Order: sequence, then structure tokens, then C-alpha cells
Amino acid sequence: MAITFSDAAKKNMEVKGLKEDDIKKIIESAGTDRIFNGERFIAKKVIGDLTVYADYSGKDGNITVNGAYCHKLSIRDIVLTGEDSGWKYCKNNKPVMKGHTDLEYMGAVRSGPSLVEPESGESWFEEYLANGALTTAEGLFEQKRA
Amino acid sequence: MGYEELFPTNDLNGWHANAAKRFASPFVDNYHDRIDVDPIMLSNAAVHCGFTIRDFYEKPELGIHCVGYIAELFDLLPVTHWFFSLPWVRELGMTLVYKDTLPPIPTGPIYEPTAEGIENLKPIEKEDLLKGSTIPLFYNLYDYVQKNLPHTLVPISYGFDLVGASAELIGVENFIMWTFTEPDLAHKLVDTFVETSINGADALSDKYGMAMLIVGSVLANNDIFADEQVEEYGAKKMGHYVDQCFRKGAGPQIFYHLCGNHETSYKVFRNNLVWSPFTVIHVGYKGRIDFPSELLKQEFQDVATCMGSVDTKLMINPNPKAVYERSKECLLDGRDAKKGFILGNTCETPPYTIPGNLLAMTRAARDFGTYGTW
Repeated sequence: MAITFSDAAKKNMEVKGLKEDDIKKIIESAGTDRIFNGERFIAKKVIGDLTVYADYSGKDGNITVNGAYCHKLSIRDIVLTGEDSGWKYCKNNKPVMKGHTDLEYMGAVRSGPSLVEPESGESWFEEYLANGALTTAEGLFEQKRA
Repeated sequence: MGYEELFPTNDLNGWHANAAKRFASPFVDNYHDRIDVDPIMLSNAAVHCGFTIRDFYEKPELGIHCVGYIAELFDLLPVTHWFFSLPWVRELGMTLVYKDTLPPIPTGPIYEPTAEGIENLKPIEKEDLLKGSTIPLFYNLYDYVQKNLPHTLVPISYGFDLVGASAELIGVENFIMWTFTEPDLAHKLVDTFVETSINGADALSDKYGMAMLIVGSVLANNDIFADEQVEEYGAKKMGHYVDQCFRKGAGPQIFYHLCGNHETSYKVFRNNLVWSPFTVIHVGYKGRIDFPSELLKQEFQDVATCMGSVDTKLMINPNPKAVYERSKECLLDGRDAKKGFILGNTCETPPYTIPGNLLAMTRAARDFGTYGTW
């Protein structure tokens, strides 16, 4: 499997301290534990204290990583399930919905907007949220819990 | 002389340090001191400091300094805010005038209530907002706070009343009629204001790295509309606004203000809004009574910090005991909300709120807003 990284993914990996090897492993080991929307996939894996995501596309063994990102907040239970997001979960071919999922960090549990598949109980967070609101939220938790 | 020279510094190590810890506590499950009080104080802060309502709105830096300074007197939230209900409308062509006893108000509708009348209405792009009046106003305001009241700074971008502000463009009565007769045009009006507000949040977060979002459903309430319309024009547009603002880097803090009577329409918000880890939800009235904290808690405690409502009418009534008793009731019903509770008023506390009534709210929070297992 040939995996290349977009400039945007490389830039964010540098900011977040993510390693290419870790992102490759997430893609290679995802199997059906990933969601898809057209030719685009998102797979995730908990590595240490981080939930790390690979947003990638491609076929025939040629993969381009469009985005690689992470959050420190731990994913807990689905709180709300909304309308169809356009994504599907490869493991059970069920539609992935827009929703909200509880996140835990430093002992506090709060919810955030997510992609959810209610039957499996799985949740995913998109890159704009992980790099924006969730990163800021982590900073506020660290500051306010100190 | 700058406005900063009119005010002594807050007690930073004493009052502010404790209030800041208390303010953060419901959001990070690290309960401290007592439940906080936020009477949504705007021009009342200026009145307390000897200025006028007009001063508050005409001189934003003075106004926000009054808010930051006077919070210490009543032991309120240790953060500053300054706003009025019609952001972005000047960029869309409206003229606002200052009044002695009111926030800025429009001189009147600017579009004919016809399809042709709003044919050229388009959202204002971020680059054009930077050259307008709202963004420069808030940049100047937050720069002033950063320099003079840095301990109180929370950059806030306002969508505020997405429906009400849009309605002003053609006249509120015409807009209400359009929701029945010309829904496509009514949507175009609201969508134009929403997209403009999103671009505004983008500009704010570009500069400050984040932007708390304040957005409400004010005109879209049960005194005017059925639940279906509140959902269509209020809740769904608010959800879209926050979703898009988040995609542009704003948030993560959100304050949802469901103003006025949401007797049954409160039910249409839970599934349509975006809930971030730092969200506060506030509902004004259920029918003619201040919204019950117990019901607020039942509906929203899984997704947000709840803010209870003490009727603003009580705040100008010379009867602090009545405020104290209603605050007590509010606190006893809401204080065990899963994601925290704040004691508030049904809307902005009136400009001529009686100081003894604000003290009554804080007194009640000290007496009954304690944390523990009840």
C-alpha cells in the first residue's frame, strides 16, 4: 500500500506532533473499522492518551492522506442522534448520523458535535472540530482545572 | 483622558481570583464556592457608575468598563460583555440611531417587502465586514479590554436574534406575514443575515483565536409563532449558524438565549442546536411565568449548563425579598443540573434595576446555590 500525505496533513501533523508511521498504521489496520463517504474514508485509533484520525482517499493501494488530526478528549457515549450525515460505517454498512457524543477530559464530561453510528455506539469527530473547538476546549480545561 | 482612568482596578487577587474560579467551575466539573449569578447586565452597569443608557451604547469602551468594574460590587461573573441586538445590520444597509433610554434602533425598513425588493440582497463577505462598522467596533472594544481589563476578556461574536434582525430589513410585520405567504423570501432574508453573521464570527476568531458565540431565538417565540415556525426559522438557523462558525474556527463557548415566551417551543431546540463542551442554555418564559428551572434541567441538562430565569419585572420592583424568594426557588430546582447551573434573569436586567435586588440574587446564590448532594 503506497501512502502519501497532502501538504495540509503534513502541516497539521507537525503542529500536533503526529508521526507518519502512526497514521500509516491506522490506515493499514483499520479493516472495516472506518467510515466512508464516496471515495473518502476516516479511520481512528486510540494511541496513548490521544484519539488519532486519518482522513484519506484513494484505491488500488494508492492512498492520499488528506488530513491527520487528534484530540485528547476521550470519546464516551452517544448523547443525541440527528439526521443522516452522508457517511456510512464500513463494519455494518449502516448510515452514520450527525449527532453529539460525550467527551471526557481531566475528570469532566461534556458533549460535542460528532458523527455517530447508533447501533455500534461508535463516534467520530471531524477535523475542523478537532483542530478548532476541541483543541480550544482542551486548553480551557487544562487552564481551568489547574 | 481615556475611560480606563475613571475606574480603579478590580481586586484581582481577592474577588476576581475567586470569581474566575467559580465562573469556570460548572464547565469543568470542578465545583467552587457557589452557583454563579449572571443578571445579563448591560446598560444597568453604566447607570450604577453614574452614566446614562445612551453613554453605554454610544461609548462601547466606557460601557464595557462599567460592566467589568461593577461585577465586583455584586460578586457576579468576572467577564465582560457589551452588545445590542442588531449586529451586522448596518453592513446590510440599515441606519441605527442612538436613543436616551434604548439600545440603538433602526430608522426603519430599507427594503420593499416584495421579491424584487430584496432581489439584490446578499450576504456581506468577510473582507467587506472588515471595512464596515461592526467588526471595527468589536476589534476596538476587545483591544481596549485586552489592554485595560485583560482579566475579563472573552471575545464574543454575536448572531443574536437571527430572525428578528432579518425581519427589521423589511419591517417585522411584513416578515411575519411572509412566513405564511412567501416562506422562500422569508428564508432568503434570514439566510442572508445568518451568512453575514457567520462571516463576522470568522473575522473575530481570525483575530482572537476563538470567539464565543451568542445567538438567540427572540422574535421566533410562541407569542408570535407556532412551534413549527420557531423550529424552521429559529432553531434550525441557530444550529446552522453555530455549525458553520465552528467550521471557521469560532467557539467553543456558546450562549443560547431563548428570549420571551417559549411555552412549548422549547422542545424544538434540543435536537436542532449544536452543543459544545462549553454551552449555556437560557430560556426566558413559559407562557407568562419565568421559565421553570426544573423543566429547563429536564430538557437540557444532558447537553449544556443551564441558566435559570428570575423575572426581569421583579428587578425594578422595590421588593428585594421577592427577588430573593424567586431566586431561591430557581436555585433549589436547578442547582443539581448535571452540567452545572447559573442563576440569571429572564433577559437583560433592566437599565434601572434596583441595586438591592441584584444583592438579593447574590444573597440567594450564597444561601442556596451551594454545591453538594441534595
